[in-house]
Amino acid sequence: MRLADQASFGATEALVASIRAQGAGAWVAAQLASSGARYQRGGDDSIHRPSGTDFCATRGDYCWRDYFATEPVLWDFYRNALTQPDQLRQRLAFALGQMVVVSEHEVQGTDGYRLYHNMLLQQAFGNYRELLRKVALSPLMGQYLDHVNNDRLAPNENFARELLQLFSLGTCLLNADASLQGGRCQATFDNATVRNYAYALTGWTYPAGGSSVWPCLPEQSNCPYLAGDMLARPALQDDQPRSLLAGITVPASRTPAQALDSVLDSLMAHPNLAPFVCRQLIQQLVKSNPSAAYVRRVVTAFVSGRFSAAGRSFGTGQRGDLAATVASILLDTEARNSAPPLVAEKLREPVLMMTGLLRALNGRSDGEALGWWWGEELRQHVFIAPSVFNFYPPNFPVAGTPLVGPAFGIHNANTAFVRLNFINQMLYYDGVAPSNSVPDALGTQVDLSAFRADAADAARLVDRLVALATGGRMSAAAKARIVAAVNAWPADGPQGDWRSERVRSAAYLVFAAPAYQVLQ
Amino acid sequence: MHLPIIDRLSAAALQRRRLLGLGGALAAGALGAPLLGSLLGSLSSPGALAATDDYKALVCLFYYGGNDGINMLPPFDVARHAQYSAVRADLALPRASLLPLGSDLGLHPAMAALAPVWQAGALAPVLNVGPLVAPLTKAQYRAALANDPRIPASLFSHADQQVLWQAASGDAQERSGWGGRAARAMATTNPPISFGGNAHFALTELVSPWVLPGPGAEFGANGFFADHVPSQARRAALTALMQEPQTAPLARAYGQSMREAFEIEGRLSALIGEAPDPARDSSGIAQAFAAMIADNYFTNDLGAQLYQVARFVNARSTVRGSRQVFFVQMGGFDTHADQIGGDALGGVHAALLQESVQAMAAFWQALQATGMADRVTLFTQSDFGRTLAPNSSRGTDHAWGNHQLVMGAAVAGGQGYGAYPSLLPGGPDDVGVDDWELQGRWIPSQSVDQYAATLLRWWGLGESQLDQVLPNLRNFGAARNLGFMR
Repeated sequence: MRLADQASFGATEALVASIRAQGAGAWVAAQLASSGARYQRGGDDSIHRPSGTDFCATRGDYCWRDYFATEPVLWDFYRNALTQPDQLRQRLAFALGQMVVVSEHEVQGTDGYRLYHNMLLQQAFGNYRELLRKVALSPLMGQYLDHVNNDRLAPNENFARELLQLFSLGTCLLNADASLQGGRCQATFDNATVRNYAYALTGWTYPAGGSSVWPCLPEQSNCPYLAGDMLARPALQDDQPRSLLAGITVPASRTPAQALDSVLDSLMAHPNLAPFVCRQLIQQLVKSNPSAAYVRRVVTAFVSGRFSAAGRSFGTGQRGDLAATVASILLDTEARNSAPPLVAEKLREPVLMMTGLLRALNGRSDGEALGWWWGEELRQHVFIAPSVFNFYPPNFPVAGTPLVGPAFGIHNANTAFVRLNFINQMLYYDGVAPSNSVPDALGTQVDLSAFRADAADAARLVDRLVALATGGRMSAAAKARIVAAVNAWPADGPQGDWRSERVRSAAYLVFAAPAYQVLQ
Repeated sequence: MHLPIIDRLSAAALQRRRLLGLGGALAAGALGAPLLGSLLGSLSSPGALAATDDYKALVCLFYYGGNDGINMLPPFDVARHAQYSAVRADLALPRASLLPLGSDLGLHPAMAALAPVWQAGALAPVLNVGPLVAPLTKAQYRAALANDPRIPASLFSHADQQVLWQAASGDAQERSGWGGRAARAMATTNPPISFGGNAHFALTELVSPWVLPGPGAEFGANGFFADHVPSQARRAALTALMQEPQTAPLARAYGQSMREAFEIEGRLSALIGEAPDPARDSSGIAQAFAAMIADNYFTNDLGAQLYQVARFVNARSTVRGSRQVFFVQMGGFDTHADQIGGDALGGVHAALLQESVQAMAAFWQALQATGMADRVTLFTQSDFGRTLAPNSSRGTDHAWGNHQLVMGAAVAGGQGYGAYPSLLPGGPDDVGVDDWELQGRWIPSQSVDQYAATLLRWWGLGESQLDQVLPNLRNFGAARNLGFMR
C-alpha cells in the first residue's frame, strides 16, 4: 500500500492486490521493465512553418489550445496516470519533469512539450548523463532558457546557471548524505564558473524543419523548430579555452558536441551530483525529510549504478543509472518499514492528491478539469509551472516544525479549502461533466458503485476506504468519528439513496483527513 | 518566441480571464501584457480624509524573476545617461523618453501612471539596495576568500536571492522572513496576510501567513447545509478530524492549516468573496480600480491583489489589529532574452512595469479615497538587479544591487535615496575586474536590513526590536535609517 503511494499515481484495490501477490521487489522489477504511456494528443509541427497569414484562421476555435498550449499534453498526462499500467515510469517522469522544468509560461508549442515529456518517459530508467544531454539539446529547453542561438560574443547565462544550480549540482557543497559541508552553505560555483559554462555551451541552433516568411536571426541560425535535438553551429561557438568544474577544461579547438561532452563529464564527476539529485528524487517519491543514512544508501546506488535486494540486481553498473537509483529508493528499509511509530512523510502534492482519490474511487478523467480549473486553484497546473523553479521549492520550511515540506510551498488556508472542495465536487456534484470541446471527452468523475455493497455496515465501509486511502493508517478515534457521521444517514431511511449518501460521507471524510492528505 | 503575437496575447488574455474568474491566489510568471491600456484619470489630493485610529500597514510588492531596476530608474543627467546608453546599447531608453525624477534620475516611460504620486511627494526611489551582511567595498569583495561570511550566500541565484531579500539575511538557509519576524516582534493580532501566494517574507518559525484568494473568490468548505442532520454530522466529524492530536509534525501542520482556514472563513469569507463592482461600492475603492475590472473580474493580477489589500485596510475593524503586514507579487521579470520590443520603449519589461503601475496608481487612489494614504506604505523588492551590459539575446542576466520604489503619503518622496552606482564596467561598484566579466553587477551600497529598518521603524518597531528582527543591522553602525520615511 505504501509502495503504491510512492511508485504510482495512487492505490487501487487491484494494484494493492497485485503488489501483495508479487512482493515489492518483483513488482518494482516488473515496473522497471514496463512501458506504455505516451503523449500523443495535440497539433503537429506546422506552427513552425507560418505562412505569414493568421495561423489560426483556418484551424477552429481551439487552435491556440491545440497547437500552442500544453493542454493536449496534460490530457494525456492525466489519462495515462489514471489508466496506464507503467505507473512507476510515469511517476518518475513526472518527478523529473519537476526537476528539469520547462513551462508554457515562457514558451508555447504543443508539439515541443509532447516531445520533451515523451523524452522524459523514455529516459526515466536510463542514465542521468543521457537525460541531461537530451535536456541540454532540447530545442524547447533551448528556447525556454535561451541557449538556442546563444552567441559567443556576449553569451546569455540563463541555461548555464540553471543547469548547474537546478539540474545537477545545487548552490551549496554537499556531503554524500546531502547535508551541507561544514554545516553551512559553501558555494559550489561562482559566477565566473557560470560564464565559463555559458561560453562552453554556445554554438547550438534549432533543428532543421522550421521556416518563416521573414529571415530567421541571427545569421547562420535555423528558424524555430521543436522536434529533434538542437544542431551545432560552430560559427556561433566560443573559441577560447574554458575551465569547468571537477578539474575539466574545454580546449580552444573543439566542436559544440565535444564541449557538451566535457560539460556533462564535469557534472557527472562532481561529488554534488549524486546527493543533489538523489535527495530530490526521494522527496518526490517517498518523503520530504529523508534520513542522512537513507540518502547515502541511494547515493551509493546512483554512483555505482547498481542496487541489489533479495537476490535481485538492478542497474547497468554505470554511474547515474536511474533504474538502480529508483529501485534503491523504493526498496530501502526506510521506504518499506511500516513498523510504528509512524512518521508523516510528505504532504500529497495537489496532482497526487487528485489522482489518488480518482484512482481509489474507480474514477476516470480526460484531464481537462484538472488543469485550468483544479490544477490552477491548487497551484499545480501541470506543464505550466510559474518558472524553472517548479511549483514549489525542495526546501520550503514548514512553520511550527523543524522540517521542510516541498508541497507546503503551495499549501495555505486557501488551497486547504480547495482540497476539500475538490473532494466535494467529485463526490457530491458528480465530478465535472465532459466538455464538448475536448476530443474523446470523459469529464472527471468517480464511480462509487463498488462501495455501495458495504454501506449497511458503516464500520466495514470506513475500514475499506481507510485501507485504500491510507493503508489502514488512521487512528481508531478518527475512524469512530467518521463511522458516526456515516450513521447519521439512517439505513433504509426516507432520504433518497442512503447507500450512496453513506459512501459519499465516508469517502469525503476519509479523503479529507490528515491520514490521507499527508502520506504516512 | 517567433509566434503570431495576436494569437498569443488573445489566448493569454482569455486564459487569464478564466483564471481570475476562478479567483485562486494569483499565478506568478504570467506574460504581463497590458490588457487595458487606459490609465487612471485625475487623482484626488492626499489627505482629503484622515483616519482617526492608530493603524499602520506595510505592503511588500515582490517582483519575481529579478526586475531590471536600471531601466526602471535610469540616470537622467546628460553625462551619465550617455554612459548608460553606451553600455546598454539597444536596451537603453532614450533620454527624451524618460519622466524626470529631479535632475539626475529618470523613470521608465511605461510607468507614467506614477507621475502624480511623484508630484504629490509620495514616491521615493531607493538606489542600489541589496543583500549585504555588512558594508562591503569592491576591494573587500575581491579579497574575500571563498565562503567569507561577509559575502551573502549563493549570489546571483534566483531562489537564494529571493530568500536573502525576503529574509533580510546573508544566509539563504534562513527559515523565516523579515515580514513574519516583524509581525511577531510587534505581536500583531493577525499574521502577515498574502494575496500573492506563499512567501518566505511572511513566515516565522512558528506561524504561516494567511494566504487568501482574490476578489470574488469563494473561500470556505462547500457542500454543508445548516438544517440537514447528516450534513452537520459530517461537518462536525471534519472539524474533529482536524483537531485530532497528531504525533507526526507534517500531519500536525496540515491539521493546523485547516483549523486556521476554518477560523478565517468564519470571520472574513464575506469580505474576501464580495465581487468587485464599481457601480455599487460606496468606499471609492472599486472606482479607483475600475479600469481593471470588467464584469466583476480583474484584468490585472496585481490590481486584484492590491484591491484586496485596500479593502482589508478599509475593513480593519473586521480584519482586526492595528498593525498589519501584507504581501503581493508579480512574476515574469527574468528578462534574459527579448527584454525589449521593436525598440527599447516597448516589449516585455515595459509591459510588466505598465501593468504594475496601473495597479499601484489605483491603489494610491483607493488609499486616498479611504483616508489611509499616510497609514499604508508600499515598497518593492525583487530577486536582484540585472546586468548593466546586455547579452546577445537582447536581454540581461542576474546581478545583485538593485533600485526599489517606496510609495505612500508617509514617504519622504520627491527625491531619490542613495547613490547611483558607477556606470563604468569594471568600475568601483561592479563586481568584475577581468574583461570577460564586466557585465555591471553592482555591489549594493545600501542593505536590505537598512531598507527594512527604515520601513519597520515607521511601522512602529523600536531600535532593540529592529536589532532582533534584523540581526545584521548592527553591522551598519549608526546608518540605521535610510531617511525615506517621514
